[in-house]
Amino acid sequence: MGEIRVARQSDYDLFSPTTPIVIDNGGSTFRIGWAGESDPRIMFRSVAFRPRHRSTGETVTVVGEHDPALFKYFDCTRSSWRSPFDNNVVYQFEIMEYVLDYGFDRLGASSSMAGKVDHPILMTECICNPVYSRAKMAELLFETYGVPSVAFGVDAAFSYKYNQNLGICAEDGIALSIGFMTTHSIPILKGEPLPEGSCRTNVGGYHVTNYLKEVLSLKYPYHAPSITWEKAEELKREHCYVAPDYPSELQIFKKETKEAEEKKWVWQLPWVPPPQEELPSEEELARKAAIKEKQGQRLREMAAAKRSQKITDLENELHVLETLLSQLDEAELPEVASSILARSGYLSRQEIESAHSRVSQSLRKARGEPAVTVEENTDTATSADKYPLVSIPDEMLTPDQLKEKKRQIFLKTTSEGRLRAKQKRAEEEMMRERQNQLEEGRRLENPELYLEELRAKYKELSEKIDQRKRLKTNGNGNGNGNGTGNGNNVSGGTGRGERLNAAQRERMRLLTTALFDKGKGEDTFGLKDEDWQLYKLMSKDTDDDDDDVVDPDEAELERVAAKLQEFDPSFVGRAEAELMQSTQEPPRPRALTAEDYQVVLGVERFRCPEVLFQPGMIGEYQAGIDEIVSHSLRRLPNLDSSIKDRMCQSIIVTGGGSLLPGLEQRLETGIRATRPYLSPLKIVRAVDSVMDAWRGASVYAASELFSTQTFSLEDYNEKGEDWLKRYNIVYSLYD
Amino acid sequence: MEADVVRSEMVLPPVMPFKRVQMGDKYQKGQSRGRYWKHLKQLLQAENFISLPLDEPNYLNIESPPSMYPSKKYCDITGFEAPYVDPRTKLRYADPEVFKRVRNLPNDHVQRYLALRNAAVIIR
Repeated sequence: MGEIRVARQSDYDLFSPTTPIVIDNGGSTFRIGWAGESDPRIMFRSVAFRPRHRSTGETVTVVGEHDPALFKYFDCTRSSWRSPFDNNVVYQFEIMEYVLDYGFDRLGASSSMAGKVDHPILMTECICNPVYSRAKMAELLFETYGVPSVAFGVDAAFSYKYNQNLGICAEDGIALSIGFMTTHSIPILKGEPLPEGSCRTNVGGYHVTNYLKEVLSLKYPYHAPSITWEKAEELKREHCYVAPDYPSELQIFKKETKEAEEKKWVWQLPWVPPPQEELPSEEELARKAAIKEKQGQRLREMAAAKRSQKITDLENELHVLETLLSQLDEAELPEVASSILARSGYLSRQEIESAHSRVSQSLRKARGEPAVTVEENTDTATSADKYPLVSIPDEMLTPDQLKEKKRQIFLKTTSEGRLRAKQKRAEEEMMRERQNQLEEGRRLENPELYLEELRAKYKELSEKIDQRKRLKTNGNGNGNGNGTGNGNNVSGGTGRGERLNAAQRERMRLLTTALFDKGKGEDTFGLKDEDWQLYKLMSKDTDDDDDDVVDPDEAELERVAAKLQEFDPSFVGRAEAELMQSTQEPPRPRALTAEDYQVVLGVERFRCPEVLFQPGMIGEYQAGIDEIVSHSLRRLPNLDSSIKDRMCQSIIVTGGGSLLPGLEQRLETGIRATRPYLSPLKIVRAVDSVMDAWRGASVYAASELFSTQTFSLEDYNEKGEDWLKRYNIVYSLYD
Repeated sequence: MEADVVRSEMVLPPVMPFKRVQMGDKYQKGQSRGRYWKHLKQLLQAENFISLPLDEPNYLNIESPPSMYPSKKYCDITGFEAPYVDPRTKLRYADPEVFKRVRNLPNDHVQRYLALRNAAVIIR
């Protein structure tokens, strides 16, 4: 594959109707040309596609590969590329007809006025092609194309003949043809293939490419859209090779030696690095700093102005209050005092005083002086006054006063409680501060030791948590597994496995002791309220994963992790480490680098071609291509062993799949293992594995006796299907 | 048809002068065309190889028997030799690090790996 020739030929009319047209109808490629020439005129992939044209709505047919850009005019979603082959047999003759149309058209047949293809046709097929396929093909050629006569031959045999004429192989040998979907081993005796000795295994180039494509797509799911069939074929053609000994090659890669590094191939996908922010130059930086300074300055000025404003306001207010107080003091008569009070808006002298103290406090704060804790003293001093009724015993009070007293008690307790809470918090704060300072001191004096301690503590905590998690999942897993595995257990909850978890064991214990009847013969569980507390206990045991209360160990772990992150440059968070191991690619929040866009072909380079030798890798339980040679020899029991030896000295490997480097060497070791000790063995690759089949067929069709091997429509009609089944050409026409 | 499509001649013309019967006449528009092509399996069944003499080669005869070498087990993910199988997903793996990756695979990846080995359970 690879090369495509579809230029329309213009010399169709120059060929007389006796010149046969030679068609190599291959699983991957269709080749067509004139007999006697050394190369086919037209070659393309034998697939057809029927999309719908968007603007006109009609369904059109496209054959072979074309420029992908042109497909935008077609709706390609409902149809797909179809091949006329199923395995290596043509079954879909509509698609076959499209392919033939295209082939003949490009050969120039459209310029002829004959209304039919007036040339004998030699077409290749697989060995032992089912007669139905052969018949349908003959029908298609005769009835639709008006071909006068047709001959079918095996492509591998033509390739062998061609190489035999070139002197590469002898008259007796074996043709090993690695095709698209299948591989055949065909023994050749005196120039003729022996179908009774041939052997086919259903692996070919398609399987290798498909395997490569799938493995890469699964390994790099992020790049899966870029790994198309065509790209996979290209990678296979350029970088895959056959390992001379598969297990030892695997070992090279497993040990990750330098040799393995050299053998890896890296495919760099197109990638655009994110635009780098240019580092601002010196003056830029200076300018920005200056601007920031100015802004800061301005803000500071504004803040200072506001503060001074506030101070003056407060001072004014203080002044007003003070004058009020002094007025009140001066006023001797209560009426004057009340009138002053009424004017000022305050209800009592106390209020004015409290307002005064408040304002002076805020003034002091604004000025930046420490606040005097006069409040507390006044509070404690007046607590007795505030709650005057508390100390008086109940009997001496009226109902109203009682109510008042209750309210005061409540207020007192709440405020005292608040005070206590505040004190406790302050104490805790002080303790934590002290501890932090201690740790800081330790760290500063001996950083290494401190780090070691931290790391050890971290490891311990994480192990504890892991263990607990494992116990939990194991317990649940075991329980579930045993519960469902034990067919006898209907309930599933009383299996032995259920109780392996410590928490569940505890639960069981509680239940059984609670329900254990105390000898009265009756179940009295539930009569008392306290019995139901049991369920609370139980649920607390098993409920610890979905608590809102944070696990104290986990909290400690977080704290230690945070410290480590701060001080230890080599610390990797546990969660991050897990993430990196689990995904194929590093965690996304990190900036993408060129490496993320690389597809590395390491083991895959020789793993995929191995499918040819070990079809078990893709689930085909058949022999590999080296083994089928031995099978095909075994199917010829009548042959002398000397003949078999002669055959083994002339093994030709042809077909598109044989282009992998290292193939012959591997085949040799494989086949030698099946042959008697020290028997002769020689394996040669065909001169041109891809084209030789067509060339051999072309030489064959150009020989004079070719017309004796074809059959016409009358023959076909007269002699019937049985004859067609036994029809086989003689290959040695021109020896 | 757009100009570049016409220029590239990628579309088959509906009438070919070298054909006796054109595609349009053979396959009427609107009729389903794919349904009556027998697939290989049906072809072979119809062929009825059992009634034929056994020593004559036919398509099924020449098929290769199973390999005489026992199949080696390779890791589904890395390709190395795999002595172990994950009981939950039935994937083969080579060593504990790969096992971690196996356990973290999303389900459709698991099915695709198994399908690659022809071991996926297809539930229709």
